[in-house]
Amino acid sequence: MLTTFLLLPLAGAIMAIFLPAERERDARWVALFFTLLAFIVSVIIFVRFDTAAEGYQFVESFEWIAAGEAGFSIQYLVGVDGLSAPMVLLLGLLSLVGVLISWNIDLKPKQYFAWLLFLETAVAGVFISLDLIQFFLFWELELLPMFMLISQWGSGRRLYSATKFLLYTLAGSAFMLLGFLLLGFSAGTFNMAELAASPVTDAIVPMAIVFWAITLAFLVKLPVVPVHTWLPDAHTDAPTAVSVMLAGVLLKMGGYGLLRISLSLMPEQAQEFKVILAGIAGFSVLWGAVITLRQTDLKRLVAYSSVSHMGYVLLGAAAMTDVGLSGAALQMFTHGTITGLLFVMVGAIYDRTHTREIAKMSGLMHQMPLIGIVFVIAGLASLGLPSMSGFVAELTTFLGALQAHPAATIAAIFGVVLSAGYILWTVQRIFHGPRAPEWEHLEDARNWPELVAMGVLVISIMAVGIYPSILTNAVESGIAPIAAIVGAVA
Amino acid sequence: MSLAQELHYIGPALALFVGAGVVLFADVLSGRRAPRWGLTLAALAVALAWTFVLAMDGDARGEALSGAVRVDAFSIYFAFLLVGVTLAVVLCAKRWADSIEQGAEFYGLLLISAASMVLLAQGNDLITIFVALETTSIAQFIMAGLARTDRSAEAGLKYLLTGSVAAAVLLYGFAFLFGMAGSTSLPVVAEYVASAPESGRLPLLLAFVFIIGGFGYKMALAPFHAWVPDVYQGAPSIVGSFLSVASKAAGFAVALRVFYTGLGGGDSFMAEDWAIFVAVIAGLSMIFGNTGALLQTNAKRLLGYSSVAQAGNVAVGFAAVAAGSTIGPSGVLFFLGTYAVTNLGAFIAVHVVAERLGTEEIADYAGLSRRSPALAAVLSLCLISLTGIPPTAGFIAKVYIFNAAVQTGHDWLVVLVAVAVVNTAISAFYYLRWVRTMWMDDPVEETRFQPAGAVQVVLLLSGFGVLLFGVWPGPLINAARSAAETLSIL
Amino acid sequence: MAQADALYVDYLPVLLAAIVGFVLVFSALIGSRLLAPFSQEREKGTTYECGMLPLQRASTNFGMRFYLYAILFVVFDVEAVFIFPWALSFMGIGQFAYWSMVVFIGILGLGLGYAWKKGALQWR
Repeated sequence: MLTTFLLLPLAGAIMAIFLPAERERDARWVALFFTLLAFIVSVIIFVRFDTAAEGYQFVESFEWIAAGEAGFSIQYLVGVDGLSAPMVLLLGLLSLVGVLISWNIDLKPKQYFAWLLFLETAVAGVFISLDLIQFFLFWELELLPMFMLISQWGSGRRLYSATKFLLYTLAGSAFMLLGFLLLGFSAGTFNMAELAASPVTDAIVPMAIVFWAITLAFLVKLPVVPVHTWLPDAHTDAPTAVSVMLAGVLLKMGGYGLLRISLSLMPEQAQEFKVILAGIAGFSVLWGAVITLRQTDLKRLVAYSSVSHMGYVLLGAAAMTDVGLSGAALQMFTHGTITGLLFVMVGAIYDRTHTREIAKMSGLMHQMPLIGIVFVIAGLASLGLPSMSGFVAELTTFLGALQAHPAATIAAIFGVVLSAGYILWTVQRIFHGPRAPEWEHLEDARNWPELVAMGVLVISIMAVGIYPSILTNAVESGIAPIAAIVGAVA
Repeated sequence: MSLAQELHYIGPALALFVGAGVVLFADVLSGRRAPRWGLTLAALAVALAWTFVLAMDGDARGEALSGAVRVDAFSIYFAFLLVGVTLAVVLCAKRWADSIEQGAEFYGLLLISAASMVLLAQGNDLITIFVALETTSIAQFIMAGLARTDRSAEAGLKYLLTGSVAAAVLLYGFAFLFGMAGSTSLPVVAEYVASAPESGRLPLLLAFVFIIGGFGYKMALAPFHAWVPDVYQGAPSIVGSFLSVASKAAGFAVALRVFYTGLGGGDSFMAEDWAIFVAVIAGLSMIFGNTGALLQTNAKRLLGYSSVAQAGNVAVGFAAVAAGSTIGPSGVLFFLGTYAVTNLGAFIAVHVVAERLGTEEIADYAGLSRRSPALAAVLSLCLISLTGIPPTAGFIAKVYIFNAAVQTGHDWLVVLVAVAVVNTAISAFYYLRWVRTMWMDDPVEETRFQPAGAVQVVLLLSGFGVLLFGVWPGPLINAARSAAETLSIL
Repeated sequence: MAQADALYVDYLPVLLAAIVGFVLVFSALIGSRLLAPFSQEREKGTTYECGMLPLQRASTNFGMRFYLYAILFVVFDVEAVFIFPWALSFMGIGQFAYWSMVVFIGILGLGLGYAWKKGALQWR
């Protein structure tokens, strides 16, 4: 089942690249077909996921590189638990959305959709791998499609941004490999389940170094201040679908790695450094929000708000209680859908106005009411309005973290106030205000791919907001063992 | 042992030597206006040599020619590798060889050089090793200077001068070994080292330093690397591809052989001294190679520096070997195997571009993806593999070697791996900048071109190999492992 | 133990000779520098006070032909180096050694023939 999910987009990518040149525009249908299939598979996985059962489900494995007497082995080992199942669902959903909003790509569509599908496979591998080396492989695999997508189909300083993204991630993950090898050597296995069952306490070098070598990669990916500067650049210059994927699922790789590897496999060090982590989180939330307030570029604004919102994930993780961790996991899912939707809307606006300067827009609600309304929905969800999914996640995070890290939590709550400020202010500047004559010709969202993309995301945001337990049940079943591990060493 | 059997053991080398003679005499006897038989004859000789390699019994193990050479899985592995590379080079050289006056001489020298390399990997005696090393080197000196340009002449001369010094240094090291052990036969030397007293440490260490100095020159390790960029840039590109792949592989082969069979390998009482020495050299090579490559604009020069850095990566595995790693030797062999496929592809691609477009500047690769898509794709794959990004062979090879180093449990090797992973991130900058140029920049002119049939086959095979060993490395790892096993058993 | 130590002892004279050599040469050079009178005249700098003036720089290009001949000479030189010990012990080593030498000389002969045919012996 999981292997199918992993290989479906890859098959699509191969098929897309081998389309005859004169039918290259049909690549989008290939992409749609395969992402839709993958989405259906991810839904099936999520629905059939048994929240009562312990351990990993849908496990599949085989010996990829067999260990001889003098050799090293890599397992192919996949499985999901309550933490990764929602991520798989999120990935399936956002990939579908990504294909839909790329419907009108004209430039080398075969390659574009092939890379997009390849990206889905790579990220899927990260979320379902249960072997450290395999995890690392997929972690690095994601670099190439992102680099290609940003640098070829992006805008503005796309080469600079793509390179920056690549180098930041590579520099982070370089040490991650070293950390994994050290962990694997000390434990004699790269299997995450086994490593979590008996955490490594002693390595050749101090465990603190191992912890930070690994965690740094996740913090860069999350990202937190001060290693966040690649994110706004990458977002600003990436095509819309890639922004959606980047904000929606790629950042979650950082949060996911934090929970799955940093906390679960090295609980002692995580406890030891949790104050530092919380401090970084609080600072990230506040600083991100302050910077967001004074952005003039709409896409950059949403990008910086991501920095602020991903800070909640780190805060929840640093709380090390089951409530806090659940909050972090929930925040990952909801931020994926909400920011995904925000980027879809930004893309929709940009497609029409061909500018992202907030100052140039005014009164757009007159010309495109539907886009305006959906943008407002996304914005309200983003600032944590009750009955939207953002509220559930943020509240859980704060409840979990308040006791452990009061100062950082209060800083983060203040960040929510700021985010209300920048969201509402932005909405006011773009959609309200006097009707501008130069935008009279604009049309509202009308073609079906766009409508479907917006519709699915709005539904998922509202659904989780109104009836959170469709998500929380799964998340809590995944969080409980992690909370038990970190709780045991507290 | 009958004479026929002994000859069978050196069959591949013999076939190549005889082939060289036939090529040269066919050229002389056929006169000026007769058709050039060089390519056909050379290809036949190499194919015959390859048949001999394949006909060898993988489990064969023994000495031949009064202990001058040794036959085991290790030598067969390298013979296969070296003869394969030679075949590829012969097939790709036609156009260039036809264009120069000494085409037949080139084939002859190539075969002589290849034959000596095969012997080098089989060497069981210091004298055999030295003579083989000199034979292959002298042939390479001439090949480097074959093109009638100043740069080529400079390359040949520089290669000759540094090579002579290196040979002298190596001979000095051999003299130490001979002086202490009283024999040039590797097994006898090994016996001496195994029972050597503590007072033998200093001369042994000196011997080792000199030997590594001499071999380090062949392996392109810093600080014996100064010739590499100049020679790679100046020598004809097809010769460069031979040097960077075959010559380096042969260097590592003989270094491993001398180290294991002659100096007692990781079990020796001074293994750790050696390991630290190699580790320092490995670190230096990676740092010099990568920083040197960062700002290069000439493709061949960049590959020269990158080859130094890659040699550093292999040396990490070598250091692990010296520190007693059991999976180190197979790691080195596996890395060399994948490296041969990768670098050959890259160099041949550069060769084709130099031939067709008459340029070696990376800036002129702009838009290669539009002018020759297959070529650009293979070159990109090879460069990505050199960086070590999945799903290519380079990724697996790097992880394998780094894992071997960490598995020894020495903290200073962990530091070395840390240096190595940082260097990987640095190398991404220049490798991927090149990839970017090919795919994203606009070409100066749009004319399309295609390499000749045979060259295309070689390129596609190497591109395919890079992917195959990245996804399914099992067979090559197994071959490397069984080859390494015969090495470590005395 | 003994072997390695003996190595040092055996080479001790060499080291001593080297040191003595250095000391002698340097003391002579330094001594003459300190003691001998020096003249700074222009004539002193010319090649030879009573000889002819040099016409051009001493380092000029020699014809490549000389190198070719030198290399061909090495063919015979090496042959001789191997044949002498072979001849001295010929009686003891038998038929195999005989044919080995025939093959060896044959290969060298082929090399010479190749060079001849290529025109290396032509003074052009």
